This record gives sequence, structure tokens and C-alpha cells, in this order.
Amino acid sequence: MRLRFLDTGPGKGAFNMGLDEALLEAVAEGRSGPVLRLYTWDPAAITIGYFQSAAAEVDLEAAREAGVDVLRRVTGGGAVFHAAEITYSLVVPEGHALAPADILESYSRICGGLVEGLSLLGVEASFAPINDIVAGGKKISGNAQTRKRGCLLQHGTVLLDVDPERMFSLLKVPSEKLKGKLIQDVKARVSGLKGLLGREVGYAEAADALGRGFARAFGRLEAGPGRAAGTGAQFPEPVAALPAELLPSVPSPEELERARLLAAEKYSTSLWTMRR
Amino acid sequence: MVTRLDYKIPGGKLIRVEVEFEGGVVLRAKVAGDFFAHPESDFEAAEAELSRVPVDRLAEAALGAFSRPGLVLYGASASDIAETLRRAVDEAQVS
Repeated sequence: MRLRFLDTGPGKGAFNMGLDEALLEAVAEGRSGPVLRLYTWDPAAITIGYFQSAAAEVDLEAAREAGVDVLRRVTGGGAVFHAAEITYSLVVPEGHALAPADILESYSRICGGLVEGLSLLGVEASFAPINDIVAGGKKISGNAQTRKRGCLLQHGTVLLDVDPERMFSLLKVPSEKLKGKLIQDVKARVSGLKGLLGREVGYAEAADALGRGFARAFGRLEAGPGRAAGTGAQFPEPVAALPAELLPSVPSPEELERARLLAAEKYSTSLWTMRR
Repeated sequence: MVTRLDYKIPGGKLIRVEVEFEGGVVLRAKVAGDFFAHPESDFEAAEAELSRVPVDRLAEAALGAFSRPGLVLYGASASDIAETLRRAVDEAQVS
């Protein structure tokens, strides 16, 4: 398996979402092969799921005052506070080994790359359907997928650290009385790499591990179900699978232009953000 | 009148519905939440079909609309959505 590989580092929320969509278009229109991207968020941002109501989920005034952008994703799922994290996106045509017809199966295959990357960092993690990855009994990664124009777009995060107090100063809570309990719940149920490893893991270290993790896991996938599932019968002597090839690349000028246009005319607009 | 109800599916996602109705007929029904629906456009088509449905048939209409072939839901089922809408309407009619 070969994947075009982009590491675009920190970006504004609207640009980040714009580039994910621009890459979806590029793959759909045959201008790009399957692509894997790593990135992060500067400034911090909140994204909400495609079906969520922005006003119901986010304290929009608090977010504005804090300089935190609020964006609607094209993917479903819940609200995410993007601060200390690494994010990936993957775009492949439907029918690709990472995009089987069964959506849960494709989550599982793609999340296998994150699980492998986490293991390279010394974290034993596992996929928790529908769309999470857990380690040490706590959620460390959330993922969301959509399929459009014959392509799959999945993006997701791996938390480097969590700050529930800051998160709940920006997300709506049913009542102030409940806020303390919600903060405690998140502390009990969610962890970043820092909490699991007892040390800081920066973006660069996480990006290196995730890149290698995706390559290894996707390579194994291609080696065939006989080996991956370890049935033994079909492949009595399993051979170590070659990792997938990640071909370092940058967004093309056309992709960047399209990403900026989508950022300005879609993701930064209240028409899109407030549409539900 | 507008009625709203949030329903947290046990161990699952949160459905937030908002129903605007007048004279026993739904003007607009919104189904929001942190679930997944594929393709998203089919979900929105199902949601749009709930306009002009008699309020007392809303849950039944929703069950049909969100069970349409080709629409795949994760985290919330068509019956979860229908039930949330039914409760929202019941609450509005009691109060």
C-alpha cells in the first residue's frame, strides 16, 4: 500500500477543516492518490459533529472571548476541544483496503494504525467501537468518518494531554452544579499521553510514532486476512508484512487555494457553523 | 409552539430534538446529536420529511423515515429518534 503523506503541523481550525475537504475533493477528482495527513490546531478550537447544534453544545460567547474557534465538521460524532493533541485525516477511495463497505470495519482498520502508533510510544491501546480508542481503561482517541463523492474521509485525534476545566469553560453544561461532576467524569474516563506515560509527548514525537504506526498496521492489512487474523491454515509460516509506503508530500498550490477558499467561505461562516 | 427534549441513550449518544408545530401539524422537526448517519444527506432528507406530518403521527413517521433503505445510523437508532420525538410531543401536550 502506498499513501501520500502530509505533515502540515499547526493550523487554524477553518484551514484544517478546509484542507481535509480539499483533499477529499482531490482524491475524488483523481488529482491525488490516497492521502494521510497529520496536523494540529493553533489556536485551540472546538469542532462539533455534523449533526450537532452549535448553540446547544458550545458556550459561543466564552469561546469567542477565549479566542477559541468553533467549527462544524463534515463528519458526525460529538464536540471535541482541540488543544494539546495530534490530529490525522485519511482520504481513500471507497473499496480501498481501508474503506470496505462496512463502516465499522473501516473504523477498525484505520484505527489499527493509531493503536500501532500508540504501541510504539509504549501505550497499549485498543479500538473501542464505534469510534474510540482506549488505553488503560480511558479514551485517548476519538475518530469520525464520512463518505462523499466515492471517497472515505476519516479524521481523528490522539490526546497529548487533557484539560477538562478549560474544556468545560467552553462547552455547554446542563447546569453549573453539574460542571464539577462532569470534570471529574472526564478525568476518570479520558486521558492524554502525558497522563498515561507520566511525561510530556510533543507533536513531533507523536507524529513520528503515528506515521510509523499507520505504515506498519496498513502494511499488515495488505498482507492479507490470513496473516492478520493469524488463522495459520492459509499461511502456515507468517511472514513479516512490509510496512505501507508513506510518500512525503506537501499540499499542492491548488489544494491550498481550495482549502483557503473553503476556510473562508464555508468553515468560518455562521451559515455553516450554526446551520443546525 | 416549540418543544425540545434531550435524550441520552443508555451507554450511547445524546439525541436533542426540537419540534415546532401548530394546529396539530409539525412545521419543522430537528434531530441533532453526536451520532453518525451515512450518508448524511439521507438523514437530512428523512428529517425534512417530518414537516407537515400530523403531530400525533410524528413518532411513527420518524420511525419510517429514519429506517429508509440505505441510511445507516450509528450511536442512535431510528426507534431511539422516534421515541425522543414522541416524548417531546407528549411533554408539550401535557404542559
